[in-house]
Amino acid sequence: MEFFAGSKVYTFLPLASLEVGEHFYWNIGGLTVHGQVFMTSWFVIALLVIASLAATRNIQRVPSGIQNFMEFALEFVRELAKNQIGEKEYRPWVPFIGTLFLFIFVSNWSGALLPWKLIQIPSGELAAPTNDINTTVALALLTSLAYFFAGFRKRGLGYFAKYLEPTPILLPINILEDFTKPLSLSFRLFGNIVADELVVAVLVLLVPLFIPLPVMALGLFTSAIQALVFATLAAAYIHEALEGHGGEEHE
Amino acid sequence: MIHWTNLFIAEAGMFDFDATLPLMAIQFLALVFLLNKIFYKPLGKVLDERTEYVRQNGQDAKGRLEKATAIAAQYEQELVEVRRESQSIIAKAREEAQQVVTAVVQEAQQEIQQQREATSQEIETQKNQAFHTLEGDVDALSWQILEKLLGSELAR
Repeated sequence: MEFFAGSKVYTFLPLASLEVGEHFYWNIGGLTVHGQVFMTSWFVIALLVIASLAATRNIQRVPSGIQNFMEFALEFVRELAKNQIGEKEYRPWVPFIGTLFLFIFVSNWSGALLPWKLIQIPSGELAAPTNDINTTVALALLTSLAYFFAGFRKRGLGYFAKYLEPTPILLPINILEDFTKPLSLSFRLFGNIVADELVVAVLVLLVPLFIPLPVMALGLFTSAIQALVFATLAAAYIHEALEGHGGEEHE
Repeated sequence: MIHWTNLFIAEAGMFDFDATLPLMAIQFLALVFLLNKIFYKPLGKVLDERTEYVRQNGQDAKGRLEKATAIAAQYEQELVEVRRESQSIIAKAREEAQQVVTAVVQEAQQEIQQQREATSQEIETQKNQAFHTLEGDVDALSWQILEKLLGSELAR
């Protein structure tokens, strides 16, 4: 039982290989990057862009087909942003929150639904972009930047006053929060997606037929929930930065 | 046995940070701006316009409904008025007819009365005439009886 030792286990089925922590390295101008992450992320981005273009190619007042579907998606992320940030300030944040949700959601579901592993690459394997810690940390750090930006734009240097609320005693904890927020955001998403993929892979390894199906369905559910949680928390942090601890809390 | 540390070391593990992170962040920001151009802005505009359209249409409909209700009420009132008017016209006509009937009946009665009076007067005169004639006859007859009883010379 050496699942993880060589990070590579092959069984009699070509589907049931398990690789963890192996990457398809690209060298671009002296920078090392994980090629497999970019390949799948480009696929996800292409999917989103194509869907957007198809939806807005021939805009009708009475929507139908892809336009209707994308309007549903837009209304969903708008509602999400509005519920968290509030009626007054949510509009400029819809693109960021919405793209977070759509990118993570499509990534997760592409990882859960598409048989990426059938496409052979020289090393490592194709998986959801969110299956790589670099992606989730990048998204989490962008979220941190976003809420700092929101706070500073709204209240200038007065934003720092929020660290002394409700009482100066909490100053260290308030500062610590700025580190725990991106940490928890990124590790929650990364952990859930990797764990789901590993559970499915291990189950497929043990029982290749039918048994993993319920776990896969559960994986779809978890993936969707994780996208929702990430976007909701990002919106909640931005709202917190806009309102401050002292302001009225809408939670 | 299982080298768990393999998963965590920087060279080739799960937590392998490299240039993927900043490049992914830049790529994501680019995606945000691109989607803002081709997705959020155009479709958001459509949604807002549709909301406005629906709101305006709703307002128009409400206004029209109000107008229609007002017109219906006005018609109702007019109908009531007209019905009352027609009622009064009918009443007046009935009254007039009654009057005419009464007048005609009265006239007829008067005429009957007159005719009756005239007839009875005529009867009276004819009776008187008859009496006169009869009186003359009685006189003549009495004379004749007298003559017959007493003889003509004595009688004269």
